[in-house]
Amino acid sequence: MRVKPQAPTRVRRAPAEHKTATRVLTEHHEVIRGLLGKLKETPPSEPHRRRALTDELFDELRMHELIEEEIFYPAMRDVTTGIAAAWSEHRHLSDQLAALVRADPRSERFDRELGVLHDVLESHARLDEEQEMFPEVERFAGEERLVEVGDRLRARLESLRSSRRARAILRLQRTLLRRTAGLTTGRRAGRARRRAR
Amino acid sequence: MAQRVLDRLLNAIEGDDRLDRPGHRLEQGLAFAQNLLGVTRGRARGFLHGVWLGHPFHPLLTDIPIGAWTTALVLDLRGHERTARAAVGLGLAGALAAAVTGLNDWQYTHDDARRVGLVHGTLNTIALGLYGWSWWQRGRGRHGRGRIAALLGYPVIAISGYLGGTLTYRHRIGADQTDRRLDPRRFTRVLPERDLPEGRPHRARAGDVDVALVRSDGRVHALVDACPHLRGPLSRGWLRDGAIVCPWHGSAFELRTGESLNGPAVHPAQCLQTRVRDGWIEVRPRAAASPPGGTSARRQEGWP
Repeated sequence: MRVKPQAPTRVRRAPAEHKTATRVLTEHHEVIRGLLGKLKETPPSEPHRRRALTDELFDELRMHELIEEEIFYPAMRDVTTGIAAAWSEHRHLSDQLAALVRADPRSERFDRELGVLHDVLESHARLDEEQEMFPEVERFAGEERLVEVGDRLRARLESLRSSRRARAILRLQRTLLRRTAGLTTGRRAGRARRRAR
Repeated sequence: MAQRVLDRLLNAIEGDDRLDRPGHRLEQGLAFAQNLLGVTRGRARGFLHGVWLGHPFHPLLTDIPIGAWTTALVLDLRGHERTARAAVGLGLAGALAAAVTGLNDWQYTHDDARRVGLVHGTLNTIALGLYGWSWWQRGRGRHGRGRIAALLGYPVIAISGYLGGTLTYRHRIGADQTDRRLDPRRFTRVLPERDLPEGRPHRARAGDVDVALVRSDGRVHALVDACPHLRGPLSRGWLRDGAIVCPWHGSAFELRTGESLNGPAVHPAQCLQTRVRDGWIEVRPRAAASPPGGTSARRQEGWP
């Protein structure tokens, strides 16, 4: 039941209507799923497009983690017991995202890491948040509070998307991850060669 | 008296959510560094957790600084200056190893335990600084200063050691958190066989036990639906290279034996025995390990 992501993610403006926090987050999950879907459909023969999509996915996912960790989880700590686990799952997502960024988009490894990222994401976004935490939050937190948190989430997401500083930090992280990937895989290849001898 | 003071100290740390922000900053820094080095999975990580031992590695290493620095205290009293410095140095090496393994364990903890762990680590860093300075001063012949630094550092590691102990005994970090249960005693139907897809974990109930079912390469496996590390739900995890991965902290377990492959879980996940009858998957617990030919092994005849 995948909803198509609406238009390019960057140009969306904050609309006037209010949305609950869970709806804001679920919609953003769909944006991320859309990017992941596009990435899956892009063949290894188009490494540049794959790389650009990976960059976009990296940024959106990191921003998603950030707004959840900064705003949503602290606000819902008295409503649900699932926060600590969700936080761990974010750690997991970051690790897997790093593995994807570090993989060569032409390689088979890239597809493998992408598959795992899909599993990690679905485990966190669907099985944990959408099916367990969000219904619990919606039941106990009250509409008004959820809308208030929703507004804050959207405002923060917008400000992150348009912040040059935030963008620069994310770009730096991606670059560092890619640069060091060469070193460690090189080392590993060297070890394998030595073993083969 | 002592009990009440310590309890109050512990409650104060556990209830202080101001520790969460620095804790998460530290974890994110660690995560990024580990990702740059490419060590978030694989053997290095498991080695530091103690998977190779089947026992947490960190608590073993902490005995080195505590023991060596206690020895240094005695040697200082008896006036053996050079030997005392060697003891302090040995303690420093052990403390560094304990710091690396401890940080590695700490990053996969939750809530209260994470706060206690942060204070534990901070105190140890202070002690490490004091003993490092002590070692350096002793090397320059200033044994008096070295002794004072060691005297200041000792109570710090004592308190910190206490906090570290509570992480095991109170928060059960590093303990096997799955219950060893006998139920269900007989083979119990859990799911029609055709409802279990290949390669995706599925949650089912056998009596009052939650079970994670997995079909991999055509074989049906069943594990108790709780990771031995912090009881994460394995049924919400995924498969990677033929192993089931815990969705919370990424512990990977061999499907057939439950053996932990990379940590943070150092204990095996609990596997159940499975069979298919009349189109239904049935499970029951495996008997506890017993010597070959032992009575319980003989009773459980017809095992794979």
